[in-house]
Amino acid sequence: MRPGTATSPRTSDLAVNPAVGLVALVVVSVATAVIGFYGLRISRTTGDFYVASRTVRPWWNASAIGGEYLSAASFLGVAGLILLSGTDALWFPVGYTAGYLMLLLFVAAPLRRSGAYTIPDFTEARLDSRAVRRVTSVVVVVVGWLYIVPQLHGAALTIRITTGLPAWVGSVAVVVVVCLTVVAGGMRSITFVQAFQYWLKLTALAVPVLFIVFALAGNGSAAVAPAAVNPTGLAPAGPYQNISLLVALLFGTLGLPHVLVRFYTNPDGQSARRTTLIVLGLLSVFYLFPTAYGLMGRMFAPDLARSGQADAVVLLLPGQLIGGTARDLLSALVVAGAFAAFLSTTSGLVVSLAGVISQDVLGGSVRGFRLAAVISAVVPLGFALSTDSLALAGSVGLVFAFTASTVCPVLLLGIWWRGLTDTGAIAGMVTGGVLCGGAMVSGAALGAAGTPFWLAQPAAWTVPAAFAVMVLVSRATRQRIPQTMARVMTRLHTPERPLATER
Amino acid sequence: MTRVRVTAPLSAARPATQSREAAVESEVGQLFVRSLIRTQLRLALVVACGFLLILCAFPLLLAAVPGLAETRVAGIPFDWLLLGAGIYPVTGLSAWLYIRTAARNEARYRDLAEDK
Repeated sequence: MRPGTATSPRTSDLAVNPAVGLVALVVVSVATAVIGFYGLRISRTTGDFYVASRTVRPWWNASAIGGEYLSAASFLGVAGLILLSGTDALWFPVGYTAGYLMLLLFVAAPLRRSGAYTIPDFTEARLDSRAVRRVTSVVVVVVGWLYIVPQLHGAALTIRITTGLPAWVGSVAVVVVVCLTVVAGGMRSITFVQAFQYWLKLTALAVPVLFIVFALAGNGSAAVAPAAVNPTGLAPAGPYQNISLLVALLFGTLGLPHVLVRFYTNPDGQSARRTTLIVLGLLSVFYLFPTAYGLMGRMFAPDLARSGQADAVVLLLPGQLIGGTARDLLSALVVAGAFAAFLSTTSGLVVSLAGVISQDVLGGSVRGFRLAAVISAVVPLGFALSTDSLALAGSVGLVFAFTASTVCPVLLLGIWWRGLTDTGAIAGMVTGGVLCGGAMVSGAALGAAGTPFWLAQPAAWTVPAAFAVMVLVSRATRQRIPQTMARVMTRLHTPERPLATER
Repeated sequence: MTRVRVTAPLSAARPATQSREAAVESEVGQLFVRSLIRTQLRLALVVACGFLLILCAFPLLLAAVPGLAETRVAGIPFDWLLLGAGIYPVTGLSAWLYIRTAARNEARYRDLAEDK
């Protein structure tokens, strides 16, 4: 109970006991691998590998979706950003959750009813065109790789701060464990692993928060700083940034490949909707805790923001506010939860990328799936090792902007608009990809300080641009509306079997 | 030795596909499908707009009522409570309303498609 140490600037005081961090990392990795290998015994067919034969129950599936979705950005980044920018950053968890509402409203049931395995499968079936399939595959692989990189950065940060080992050990450890589990068991075992990891992550955040609250209530210590104090003196974000961020998060979620592939594991459209409702509940509960960490970090450890360690607030706060054995145990729990986050999101992405790559390039066999899984994990590892980490929530926000400008328009228009053509879809995806990708590259080149606000948060103009191009080009090429359109639209929107809800 | 492929009779295994095929073939079936799609889209848009309006109302409310943001409930500033926790029940409620209505729309479509 030494809240006084919170003001100490010495980083040696902040570090978690190295052995504790290492043990936590090893335990989570082994548990992940064991559940993965257990899954191996029951997944035997190609269908099991890709989508768990579509027999996963809603609660399991929802926990798995939650486990997969709550990434490094949610576990570490949200609290870090709240510590840095206060209530402005509360839009991140709100956007991450509301994205699921949009997914439920516009995508969940029709996508399940389309009967396709991957997003490229869907666009090919809807637009009857191999070219659209190829463009979608490229976009999906880019999105997946972009999204894996911040996970590996998060792992590197965690390892550096908690064990003192070189940062690359974290990234490599995540890639090795993910490759082993995915290669061993495919989607079925991944479902168990992910579901386990959602609950692990929730526990890892909730227990320390409760401990801290009780400790603070017990000794009645006053906050070091009130919540309204801005530890870094950064200017608050304007309405443009908040709106653009919300656009990216709301529309980005419904194009994330690892989230969408989960919907194929529901038995029918209505159960896909029910699963999404459960996911919304799980996310809402989860995000209360990073918010609490951010608020407590602002009050008790504002020096973390000033020393550039904001993303580590979740890892360091329990060690700062709690003393004795409880301190080591809670730190271990938090490190374990962080690794669960990196492992689950990365393996979800690797599974969906491997599905796309193996079907398009390697012929769709189990062997091809395994090879593709290794490819999809190793490429972003190279990228992560050669780049520096940005603020985690911010870099994941950019990935959402990219998804919202590419995959989201083709999904929304494909599901709801009869007039979409293959040419329109390709033109829209390319426009969105080039604009948003260009903004990301020039933002990285200019550096955080030199980037104008509209380049730093591009979604507010790249998403409408992609939609507009897709609609206009489809209008201009109206004769290319596929013959199969009416049949596919019927399939997407009509309920599967009579009384499906009464099963 | 001859190999025989053992399959379930199509009609028994996939009645849904058949009624869905029939819906594509006939004029009337397509009319029903179009109207189902329109209803579902309208529902999704209404729920989405309602949710976004409430979402926008939260910061506007905080800006419009001076002192509200600083009010403390159980030691937590009210603006943190509203934005950090208050939005989630709205999300859940919107989702639940949508699912109920969407299932009802589909049940209505099914009745129409089977009666015709």
